[in-house]
Amino acid sequence: MQDPKRTPRSRDHGRSNRSLFRRTIALMLALGIGLFIPLVGQLYKLQIVEHAQWEEKAAIQQTKSISVNANRGTIYDREGRTMAMSATVYKLILSPLDLYNSVEQEDYKDEAGKLDPDAYKQALYNRRKLIVDWLVETFDYDEDWLWKQMEKINNGWIELETEMEEEDAEKVRTFTSKNRITGLLYTTPSSKRYYPFSSVGSHVLGYLSKNKTSGDRKVGAQGIEAVYEDVLSGDLGRVVVSKNGAGGEMISGYETYFDAEDGCDVTLTLDERIQAMLEQTLEEGIETYDVQNGAFGLVINPKTGAVLAMASSPDFDPNSYSKILDEDLQQELAEVAAEKGEDSEEYGEAWKAAWDKQMRNRAIGDAYEPGSVFKPITVAMALEEGAVSLNDHFYCGGSLQQNGWPKPISCHKKAGHLDQDLTHVVMNSCNVGLMKIAEKLGGETMWKYFEDFGLFDKTGIDLNGELPQGIFWPGGEEYFTGPYGSTSVATSSFGQTFGISPLQMITAFAAVINGGHLLQPYLVQSIADGDGNTVFYHETTEVRQVVSEDTSNKVRGILEQVVSTKEGSGHNASQSGYRIGGKTGTSENIAIKNIDPDNDDVMCSFMGFAPADDPEVLALVVYDTPKRSAPKSNYTAAGTYISGGNIAAPMAGQLIGSILDYMGIERQYSGDELAGADTPMPKVTGQELTVAKGNLQKAGFECRTVGTGSIVQGQVPAAGASIPGGSTVVLYLGEDAPTEQVEVPSLAGLTPTQSKQKLEELGLFMRASGVVDFNDPDVVQASQSIDAGIMVSLGTVVEVRFVSSIDYGDHQ
Amino acid sequence: MARKAKRDLTIEQKLARGPIDLPFLALVMLLTGIGLITLLSASFPSAMYNLSPNVTDTGGDPLYYFIRQARFAAVGVVAMFIISRIDYQQFRWMSVFVLIGSIVLMLLVFVPGIGKTGGGATRWIKLGPVRFQPSEIAKVGIILFFAAGLSKRNSQLGPPPEKKWNRRTLLGRTCERLDRIGFLELIPYGAALVAVLGVIALQGHMSAMVLVVVAAGSVLFAAGIRLGWFAAGGALVGAALWFIITQTDYMAKRIQIWQDPTSDLQKGGYQPWQGRIAIGSGGLLGVGLGNSRQKYLFVPEEHNDYIFSIWCEEMGLVGAVVLMALFALLIIRGFWLALHARDRFGTLLIVGIMSLFAFQVFFNIGVVTGFLPPTGISLPFFSYGGTALMITLGEMGMVLSVSRQIAAPKAE
Repeated sequence: MQDPKRTPRSRDHGRSNRSLFRRTIALMLALGIGLFIPLVGQLYKLQIVEHAQWEEKAAIQQTKSISVNANRGTIYDREGRTMAMSATVYKLILSPLDLYNSVEQEDYKDEAGKLDPDAYKQALYNRRKLIVDWLVETFDYDEDWLWKQMEKINNGWIELETEMEEEDAEKVRTFTSKNRITGLLYTTPSSKRYYPFSSVGSHVLGYLSKNKTSGDRKVGAQGIEAVYEDVLSGDLGRVVVSKNGAGGEMISGYETYFDAEDGCDVTLTLDERIQAMLEQTLEEGIETYDVQNGAFGLVINPKTGAVLAMASSPDFDPNSYSKILDEDLQQELAEVAAEKGEDSEEYGEAWKAAWDKQMRNRAIGDAYEPGSVFKPITVAMALEEGAVSLNDHFYCGGSLQQNGWPKPISCHKKAGHLDQDLTHVVMNSCNVGLMKIAEKLGGETMWKYFEDFGLFDKTGIDLNGELPQGIFWPGGEEYFTGPYGSTSVATSSFGQTFGISPLQMITAFAAVINGGHLLQPYLVQSIADGDGNTVFYHETTEVRQVVSEDTSNKVRGILEQVVSTKEGSGHNASQSGYRIGGKTGTSENIAIKNIDPDNDDVMCSFMGFAPADDPEVLALVVYDTPKRSAPKSNYTAAGTYISGGNIAAPMAGQLIGSILDYMGIERQYSGDELAGADTPMPKVTGQELTVAKGNLQKAGFECRTVGTGSIVQGQVPAAGASIPGGSTVVLYLGEDAPTEQVEVPSLAGLTPTQSKQKLEELGLFMRASGVVDFNDPDVVQASQSIDAGIMVSLGTVVEVRFVSSIDYGDHQ
Repeated sequence: MARKAKRDLTIEQKLARGPIDLPFLALVMLLTGIGLITLLSASFPSAMYNLSPNVTDTGGDPLYYFIRQARFAAVGVVAMFIISRIDYQQFRWMSVFVLIGSIVLMLLVFVPGIGKTGGGATRWIKLGPVRFQPSEIAKVGIILFFAAGLSKRNSQLGPPPEKKWNRRTLLGRTCERLDRIGFLELIPYGAALVAVLGVIALQGHMSAMVLVVVAAGSVLFAAGIRLGWFAAGGALVGAALWFIITQTDYMAKRIQIWQDPTSDLQKGGYQPWQGRIAIGSGGLLGVGLGNSRQKYLFVPEEHNDYIFSIWCEEMGLVGAVVLMALFALLIIRGFWLALHARDRFGTLLIVGIMSLFAFQVFFNIGVVTGFLPPTGISLPFFSYGGTALMITLGEMGMVLSVSRQIAAPKAE
């Protein structure tokens, strides 16, 4: 290498070594440092800059959160009766996928790894058959259907049952653990809502169903269940468990618990008994008067705005809300089904319409024309404004001409009510009188009061579906108070030409009779958390004072006259022993009338309250379209005059009487009425006839004798039986009281006196209700508690309801 | 074979018995140790769950991978010491045989019964209990062959011998021109490289090809090959890459997955995505050694190519930087030894080995962190794989062997 001849080479050698040195250093720096710089940069980006984002992604995939059911709160009525409650039920799950995989092909291979297909198929069949047979035998499943499910080997979750009771679930668990097939057929806990009173209060309570956002969970879909969903549902608990990539448990895993918070219990102002009475009243009226389009009603406490009952017929059963409950609707559907078939589009539409109808809460959601029921509100305005006084007289000639209207607007009594004072204007439900009052008030004042009575606002009740806006005159206030509004002003005075919700009507009416306070109606009295602590209590919310206590008092007085006097249009609502006030109404169906002017459907309504001097209860009952016996006829097929006074008033009166009885408000009988009150029958058997007669007289009974002799040997009724005072009891002389039964007679068309006589001749007694004016020939039997032709024992008390058969006109 | 007394040794032999470089050895042992611990942490969930017994039946033993790797590490360390005691001059003559042998082994992969398919590619040879990729040996073979050949380059350079080419013929003039621009001397290396790459390409082993190219290129670079050739080669590779990326669906898909793993989470994107979740959720300080959650069947190959992501999750950015610093120190120390090597062969040998090592680390971490498009390159000392670990340790033994012959600095 040190050959001097090779000097150039040596130079090259040195140069190449220097090159090697330089290039190696360059590589050292590039590879030892340079390469790592971008890597550190990248790591910094991932671990520092984007750390939070990645950590979240990691947490999401590394944990699974198992939700823990929170118990949904219970809904109670005001007396603590359970209206809605949740209980644990089970879903029955079949996994054809796991079943298929549980029979392993490996087990049916010979040593060479060849599958014995027959043995394998048999094994699979056997396992399926085990389950199918058991299900068919135990729960009566359709066998073919089950076999079809078994074939769905890609499906690991078939819900055979969604609401299985514990008892059945236990059977499943026993069966599966015995046969070691727990993963193939199993139960998972779920929750079911029960409504113990079925359809009672269904529109208020609502129901639970799944919706788009709730996923597998059922949430409140209507009523209180929906409005108070957040309160009732509580907070789902969660268990956050670490999991591995395969979804299994991570060893050395971790768990975090978030306790479930049970839903709160809600106590309603609703009273199940009153609610049932209201619904009963509606149904009875619909049946009695052949009402075509259903009915609705409200009962509130006028002092607080608490809603005691709210009903709309037809209704539904929240336990199975997807069924059509109403028999008439069922029948209509059956007719469509028979004609077009259940698969037809028409049937689908008819079913949907029927379902919509039964789900609709007309008591708050529909605009209805209040008609004459509105008159007390106009009168209250007029009294408050000093436009009229109780002593003012109004002359009704049968009609009144209004500016800008082609023909005079007539009163329902074409002949006219002639001269009447204010009280009689209301008693007669005189439209002309009201128009004259409206004239004195003027459109501007009336509009102001409409506003004050809340006709233009929602009442603010804690329920969904309240009518957002009533039906009023196009043009609004400007039109109403302007020169062209005089006809509207006149007709609005008796509740015509506008529509509001029944709830608005009843709150406005409450303000008239409760001292002038417009209150916010409400349904939830209190809410208690899972531990029973009250977290909310409703205090009466006054929106505003509309009229004075003095005005209110005067109107109460007038309205009591409407019911208590025979000529008052609400007389049929009277109940002996209770002071009832109220107003009848017969109105058009404004929603239909606006579309079809020839429509003559009417709604018969009655708004009543009691006790008249200090109202505890205010009830509104509306029947939509009682069937006319013939077109244009004003009578039903049974001969009842179609008006609020003849149709709604007797039903509402009965309802109010029952409610007051239930509330424990005692009947205050006047002298006459007192005589008819229930009295225990004294024991007179064995006494001398004269002594017996004396004792009976003392007790307030009359008597007749059968047989001869001086010693009473038998008596009807037996001692201690409670029968109305004034009844004629039967004394048997010289013979025992007979034991055979007698047939209840028909009392149709009889007056109270005739009825009493007819019953007592047979040894039966009468307890009269409704309009009990014994000496009034216009009062006739409306119904009897024991139908004619039924055999009863002697001494049985038959309850007979009487109504006044006068045609109470209260049409507009 | 009885050892000769020291006095009987030749100078060469005495040199070969010099002290090995302790800092380098210490770094190697440290990384091997950390690698084993990390493997234990990363692998025990998948070993325990044993979800794919038909691929690797761990029998549910959480220590399955660790024990195997530890055994190989022990054997590898012994092999490293043995290799370090070999006079590296011997590698010169071995190089050709190693290269040819590795090519033969790589071809054997395709012989049924010997070759083994795994992960969709046929790359393994199974001889008894030993299963390895012959391409690992081919990398060493290329490095040895290039280093041995190029180390003699300086004696071949300079003006050519007179009349080497017959200038009267066109062929002669062409050859002379080619010789002048340094093309002819590249022919044997180019041939060897093409042969090796061709065989690896048959296996469809892209990442191994890349590593072979960069390792060979590093040796060529250090050996003083004109930079023009690198420019030309770089342009060629660049063009090829451009073609592959833009013209074939395969690469386009990979690039898309690289940029956005969520675009194909069901298949190709899943692993990169999970790896990034692991790294990103580690944060600055990590969740603590052994506490990784992503290793619970989330990150596929968590004890293999993606082991670095688990390290990052457990040890955080700090741990990742420390680990990379250790790698960097090992690489720098290796190059330091290269600079001080006794001869050009020693220098080029270490340059080749350390370049290969550095690029392997770079590619692995680059891929796992999403800096580079996904490809399968394992992390030396960390990823599970006994023979790979042994070969890495063997390469380190070679570096140590060179380090023995570095003259001790003269005492001042």
